[in-house]
Amino acid sequence: MRYAARAGDRDLVVELTPEGRYLVGDRVLAADLAETVPGRAWSVVIDGGAHEVAFLGADRVWVDGDEIRLDLADERAVAAGRAGGRAAHARQEIRAPMPGLLKRVHVEEGATVNEGDALVTLEAMKMENELRAAHAGTVAQIAVAEGTKVESGTLLIVIRPE
Amino acid sequence: MANRGEIALRVMRTCRELGIATATVYSDIDRAAPHVRAADEAYPIGKAPPRESYLNIERIIAVAKRAGCDAIHPGYGFLSENADFADAVVAAGIAFVGPPAAVQRTLGEKTSARRLAAKAGVPVAEGTMQPLNDEADARATAERIGYPVLLKPAGGGGGKGMRVVRSAAELSSAWRASTGEATTAFGAPALLMERLIQPARHVEVQLLADAHGAVVWLGERDCSIQRRHQKLVEETPGPSVDDALRAKLGAAAVTVASAANYVNAGTAEFLVAPDGSFVFLEMNTRLQVEHPVTELVTGLDLVALQLRIAAGERLPFGQDDIRRTGAAIELRITAEDPFTGFLPQGGQVDFVREPAGPGIRMDSGLAAPLTVPTDYDPLLAKLIAWGPDRATAIARARRAVREMVVAGLPTSLPFHSFVLAERDFAAGRYDTDYVTTHWSRPAAPEITEGAAIAATLAGIARLRSRPRPIAAEASPWSRSAREDMLR
Repeated sequence: MRYAARAGDRDLVVELTPEGRYLVGDRVLAADLAETVPGRAWSVVIDGGAHEVAFLGADRVWVDGDEIRLDLADERAVAAGRAGGRAAHARQEIRAPMPGLLKRVHVEEGATVNEGDALVTLEAMKMENELRAAHAGTVAQIAVAEGTKVESGTLLIVIRPE
Repeated sequence: MANRGEIALRVMRTCRELGIATATVYSDIDRAAPHVRAADEAYPIGKAPPRESYLNIERIIAVAKRAGCDAIHPGYGFLSENADFADAVVAAGIAFVGPPAAVQRTLGEKTSARRLAAKAGVPVAEGTMQPLNDEADARATAERIGYPVLLKPAGGGGGKGMRVVRSAAELSSAWRASTGEATTAFGAPALLMERLIQPARHVEVQLLADAHGAVVWLGERDCSIQRRHQKLVEETPGPSVDDALRAKLGAAAVTVASAANYVNAGTAEFLVAPDGSFVFLEMNTRLQVEHPVTELVTGLDLVALQLRIAAGERLPFGQDDIRRTGAAIELRITAEDPFTGFLPQGGQVDFVREPAGPGIRMDSGLAAPLTVPTDYDPLLAKLIAWGPDRATAIARARRAVREMVVAGLPTSLPFHSFVLAERDFAAGRYDTDYVTTHWSRPAAPEITEGAAIAATLAGIARLRSRPRPIAAEASPWSRSAREDMLR
């Protein structure tokens, strides 16, 4: 199986051979992995180089003291991703980045907003955080009413691009 | 111990050393929290929202009476600067570990503290000496002293509810936000206004005063590295503070404390301009989060001294007996994502590794597993490093930060790693704008090819062994927030 990875600022392709060896580019690596915390942390020794890796959550990975993002996909996913591509600035879905109380909604449905306009105020951990529009557009939907307690990821507002 | 988290553990450790039994309180969500496990006695006081538990004066006093407490330590935050609480504690025949209620009232209302300092001859920033009446009053005041200005809750400190207003157009929204946050945090919407001093460094002086009129100062702490006016990194000695300035700040702090008839541990906060001139900001009438840096350079246990003062004892030393050795730095490890503007995040910690070794002190409320609720302050732990000089303290802190692992929710650790390796910080060149000027567009850390390969191989091993998604953290939101929402 071949994997494409972006680890921090480095791209690499790794092939896992049926014999359990790793091919990185055209090099065969003598890599020895030990799972030190089940499902969470590994000690990785590559040609004598000792590394430590811990999975912190989602795509955040700790390696040798640095916190990086690791995007990892097997060959099929890579192929699918190439075909799809990314739609630039479709519609903006403003979601709660953390659980909290939707203290205020600053806009109305149908209103025009400019880049950077405050949309809602979300209160969490005693702080009020204003979520702002990333691009100009029209407020297509207000999904949650003021005063509602929301979970992380709850859809709050939809902005249609101009 | 009427608090939770790392500060409850910190205070109870000293109690244990002194042979004092401890009782603490907990909300429903904190049933299995480390402070409950560490105490001799622990009592439930209500649901997770602070108002129903850690801010519930009646229930806390009832628990203290039932447990037979001789004294209550309020920690920081929650009821630590609530004069009504101090009154209620004393009325119940229990000693309050902190300044008397009357002192808290004078200094807790920030315009009253400004009036007291100004009258005692200590400089304060240009601004209102009474709380503002309404938005129109704020607008008129801003016109008079000139933008940019700072709106601050008059009822409490700690940076909560503070807003910089750079122009008349920003005033309305800042007024709304500050009033709202002041009401939430301090139960009072009153605001004051000060002229913004920028660039400036936030330098504070640790004080100790006994009930017999003795006041000493234990040196300064530079706490300029802040986000949302809340501190992230603190150090002593202040890299920009020379002996002459230190002596002036110490004398000003003692003047304010004496004028207020201060008792117990307290901190006078100042803003220092590049030319060395300074203004008094406020007095924090509690043990500060960052007190350990002072402990490490003075060799004193501030909590032990607080307890002795609360028991009516005299300070066991005078100003001339205080020696400061070396340098210390504290890093506040918070449950905040430094890549999304330090948004606080709750979650489930399921793996922790804390650093140790030469010169490292961890004051931590972390454990695994641990639920980090969004109901409370996001501070998880403090990493404090001491060295015979600043460079050694930084090297130790940097080494220790790179040892620390917290899995399950984002933390401020990547920011700390960045700061400790950054040139301006290393040179001691920073002010209260540091986070904005140095961390506005954080770059991914440069890692070695070996590290990248190791991470990838471990990732493949993990995918193949047990593809267990980490539910606690929803990746699309952190990423979209990173890119879009909070710039």
